[in-house]
Amino acid sequence: MVALVLEIIDWKNKSDKLKEATKILVWIGAGSALIAVAFGWLLANEGDYGGDDLEIHRWAGMATAALSVLSAYLIGRKHVSAFRSTLFLTVFGVSFAGHYGAMLTHGDDYLTSVLPSSDSKLSPDAQDADFVLTNAGALNDQQLQDLNVEVRTILAHNCYSCHGEAKMKGDLRLDSKEAIMKGGENGVVVVPDHPDKSELIRRISLPKGHKEAMPTKGKRLTEKEVNVLKFWIEKGAKWPDGKEKSIYRVAALEPRMPVIPNASGDIILPVDRFVNVYFQKNQITWKPVVDDRTYIRRVYLDIVGLLPAPERVEAFAADGRPDKRELLAKELLSRNDDYAQHWLSFWNDALRNDYSGTGYITGGRFDITKWLYTALETNKPYNGFVRELISPVKGSEGFIKGIKWRGTINSSQRTEMQAAQNVSQVLLGLNLKCASCHDSFISDWKLEDAYAFANIFADTLLEINRCDKPTGKIAGTRNLFPELGEISINESTEKRLRQLADLLVQPKDGRLYRTVVNRIWAQLLGRGIVEPVDMMDNMPWSQDLLDWLAADFVANGYDMKKLIYTIVTSKTYQLPSTSVKEAEDIMASTYKFTGMVRRRLTAEQFADAISLSFNPIYGDTSIVSKLLPERVNTKLPFARAALVKNDPFLTALGRPNRETVSTSRTSQANLLQALELTNGDKFTQTLKRGAKEWKAKYPTSDSLVTALYRNALGRNPLLKELTTARKILGSKPDEEGIQDLVWALALIPEFQLIY
Amino acid sequence: MTTRWNRREFLQKASAATMAALAAGAPLSNILSSCKAGSSSSADTVILLWMAGGMAHTETFDPKRFTPFEKGMEGNRVLSTFKSMPTVLDGIHFSDGLQSIGGVMDKGTLIRSYVAADMGHILHSRHQYHWHTCYEPPQTVAAPHLGSWIAKELGPKNPVIPAFIDIGQRFTVGEAEELKAFHTAGFLGNEFGPFFIPDPSQGLDSVRPPVGMDAKRFERRNQLYNELINNSPVGEFGSDYQRESLKRSMEQAYALLNSPESKAFDLSTEPKASYDIYNTGKFGLGCLLARRLTEQGARFISVTTEYEPFKGWDTHENGNTRLVEMKKQIDGPIAQLIKDLDKQGMLDRTMVVLASEFSRDMMVEGRPDAKVLEQVAQPDILSDMKFYGMHRHFTDGCSMLMFGGGIKKGFVYGKTADERPCKTIENPIKIDQVHQTIYHALGIPEDTQYEVEKRPFYTTPDGKGKPVMELLS
Repeated sequence: MVALVLEIIDWKNKSDKLKEATKILVWIGAGSALIAVAFGWLLANEGDYGGDDLEIHRWAGMATAALSVLSAYLIGRKHVSAFRSTLFLTVFGVSFAGHYGAMLTHGDDYLTSVLPSSDSKLSPDAQDADFVLTNAGALNDQQLQDLNVEVRTILAHNCYSCHGEAKMKGDLRLDSKEAIMKGGENGVVVVPDHPDKSELIRRISLPKGHKEAMPTKGKRLTEKEVNVLKFWIEKGAKWPDGKEKSIYRVAALEPRMPVIPNASGDIILPVDRFVNVYFQKNQITWKPVVDDRTYIRRVYLDIVGLLPAPERVEAFAADGRPDKRELLAKELLSRNDDYAQHWLSFWNDALRNDYSGTGYITGGRFDITKWLYTALETNKPYNGFVRELISPVKGSEGFIKGIKWRGTINSSQRTEMQAAQNVSQVLLGLNLKCASCHDSFISDWKLEDAYAFANIFADTLLEINRCDKPTGKIAGTRNLFPELGEISINESTEKRLRQLADLLVQPKDGRLYRTVVNRIWAQLLGRGIVEPVDMMDNMPWSQDLLDWLAADFVANGYDMKKLIYTIVTSKTYQLPSTSVKEAEDIMASTYKFTGMVRRRLTAEQFADAISLSFNPIYGDTSIVSKLLPERVNTKLPFARAALVKNDPFLTALGRPNRETVSTSRTSQANLLQALELTNGDKFTQTLKRGAKEWKAKYPTSDSLVTALYRNALGRNPLLKELTTARKILGSKPDEEGIQDLVWALALIPEFQLIY
Repeated sequence: MTTRWNRREFLQKASAATMAALAAGAPLSNILSSCKAGSSSSADTVILLWMAGGMAHTETFDPKRFTPFEKGMEGNRVLSTFKSMPTVLDGIHFSDGLQSIGGVMDKGTLIRSYVAADMGHILHSRHQYHWHTCYEPPQTVAAPHLGSWIAKELGPKNPVIPAFIDIGQRFTVGEAEELKAFHTAGFLGNEFGPFFIPDPSQGLDSVRPPVGMDAKRFERRNQLYNELINNSPVGEFGSDYQRESLKRSMEQAYALLNSPESKAFDLSTEPKASYDIYNTGKFGLGCLLARRLTEQGARFISVTTEYEPFKGWDTHENGNTRLVEMKKQIDGPIAQLIKDLDKQGMLDRTMVVLASEFSRDMMVEGRPDAKVLEQVAQPDILSDMKFYGMHRHFTDGCSMLMFGGGIKKGFVYGKTADERPCKTIENPIKIDQVHQTIYHALGIPEDTQYEVEKRPFYTTPDGKGKPVMELLS
């Protein structure tokens, strides 16, 4: 650029010196451009950059480099006018490519973000606060409040873990007004109005690796975060009086029954009306609902975990009744044992219930299978379900008793604390794990809250341990949400638990019911209205829908099956399935709901699908009969995978080790799974057994292939599929051919996915 | 999530070094590879030789005064039940029966000061969990195994060889559930979990087409699968991560099962002379398999003497006689493994680590300053030969060996007392330091972490562990 300026000056006044300077500059420019391109290429391949901006930057940069070399060549050759034009173009190229480069590294708004902005949009949710660094004079109270929240958010995410109540490194705490103004062992860290004199700013601005740079560990503050802190100090480092506004989004506790939006056309059911509003807002159009075959397969797998029998599929497709889908859902929900045997796996994961595992060997763990099975089978109302988990009846004690490990354990893993953590995570969708060791850095929950809650489960009050070090303090006994009512301290544990159970299941505990309806929604639609499903303070994609589902659930007598019915009969559930490019996209906060997200069959669904459509994977002796209610044995069509002990086959397919609560399973396939399915013993043996039986049963290949396709995929084979199968089987099927065909069929997405 | 450099760091680190290198005319490929790892590494592969059940340091790599058995002797007089034998290193002795390993100590480092955690009464499964995950159980989130962290951070070295291979442990024997609890990738996800080969002589079975299926049929079956996918009307989902990951995983499995590398799993193709040296039983053959897989590009392999309560190193009685057997199992194969790797030039980039969850002593259960509940009934007077041995669980001084991958050669680190309690008196080293030393050699940054339930979960608790730089050359 300087070369261009010099050339312009030189245009009029021919100066040799300037000419020389221009020449040198052009050469330097050309050289640097080449190096820049080389580096850019490296970075593009290494870094996390991508997208259109990258491509524009890449090619613009290369063009610019080429131009600069050309300029250099031309100036050497004394083609003055050609040189001047190329130089102009080069300078333009530098600006253009540079602009896109900056957008890549600093974000699209790298120019505008620091400009004074007239619309200082301040989101009410600190989580999403996108503070605009306005320079427009004094800030009003609201702006000060928001700025302060933003500042505390940055400090909490980056600094509290070392400069908070737990550690106080360098004698410095940054988690309160007094502390931050007091400074640490090296003196004051914040000088109001003077970011340049503030040690805090100096330390966070030092390059990584500098021995005084902060934070010493973990990720650096972003440029924007540093700018927010500077701006806050520049504006006087204000700390509004009165109760501090939480820096975290905290979901409302109380229930809310939103007004149901108007119906229009075939958007009649409440769920669809709420989704309709969401669709309108996000400019998403309704697609036609799926066909009968897709619906019946989907709803079978979702309600009873099984594939529909082929005759059932045919009859359903042929059924002319307009309400046949509702009737089907109703019928499936009335198959109590099938329903229980499917949902058992979901609740086993969540309630950390398993038939084998650590703890059982030493009597430090109790299973709740009988109780859980019966509760599901009888569709125990959810308030009663929760009540019996917290204030146990015979058979349901295992959940709050946790796993008692031998030897000394971290104090945050005492069984009472496990109960506090598990009750809050599973039932209330909140994370108390951090707070059971130290004040949480990700929420307002304090160490004392966790202990006070754990004390409800404790026979003798627990001494507070901070990061496993005794503090000599006792927290008292307190419900996490005192708004729901207090716990009497001087009662027996049994009575306290009854109290807690009664308090938590009250209709006014909106959180309990939002948490469960969101979990069920996530099971049926592949993604929760709030994600992660254990963090109910996060923003739902539709607050109204979530609130309505929870309120409706309560109004309908906490009826789980009714909730499922409400969802699966909605047009929303019946939309064509959708997917994403990368697994992470599902959990992203930018996620837009457009229909059920395709899911992989769970380990149990896959095993059962093979058992039912081909040959049983498990023999009856694998069932954990002793742990189940006695009469169940007579009601089992085959050994369902939910009722067997975990094994390498199920583990490979994603059944979790139920030592800790597990509320979602990954849907992604991996090599270890593929190996298990390719040559694992369990599947191979099943194929061999089944092939023998099928060979005896079907005399011709065509009849066998047709039966197999109908059983497994709910449809007849296409002609090209039949042709392919014939190649393997010949005209008279042999065992090896059958094994291979079933193997291949079981592994294709059409079989493996709920779509 | 971590270990990626941003532009600023990249330029900072790269500019000086790279510009200098460019100026000096260094080949570009070197610069490229040094950018990739995040920091320089001295190892690509790790082989963990796991002495499951608690290996007594005074009976193996840190022998003390030998006192032969006499009926009616006081247990307190016995520090070692074996003679000390010289090793290739001046003044360094190993317990009798480990002369072969003693002969390769010029190629590695002897650590005599590993100190296990103090977790109340001593339980194998809990200490093993701690050793392998670096976290004390129980944890609120499922902690990943060392091998899973490595698999996650570095991926497979050769795409057809699973990144984390676990050889020699069955999960059908006692305390199986406790063992499963740490043989897992935890929150990192199944993908990074161990690929189990419980019996090394059957290793081939896990990577070949199912028994009875020849190559031709295997190929045909795979073709069929591809045809069915292409024909299925529901196959037209477009770019769908589930469909893609399913297809990709099947392709990988097929590639592995069909690859020339899979022959490495077949020990029967090993020349007889070599096979015989390794063939001291399951553990020895595990070492052989580990070597063969390393040749083909394995990333992390664990070979265990297999944990089963009261068996192997878990001597609650007959310690002396049992250890004669144990040493026979490990001595030849381990020495041969080191020699083979060295001869093939692979030891430079392959780190071999031998370790156990804790040590043993005849008198002290736990550690001298924190004695705990006795797990073993051991009389003070030895009326019978079966009481002659280290039967109690001792946590205050254990031995480890490390070879290759940047580890110093012929080096001894740490020291234990020569009289009871034979505890660590110099350079104690803890599990987070062990892990960080391994990570450091592999080029995995100390502060590697992932966010789980919004909490940072580091490779070592709170990201605090530091590598022991003295161990590295």
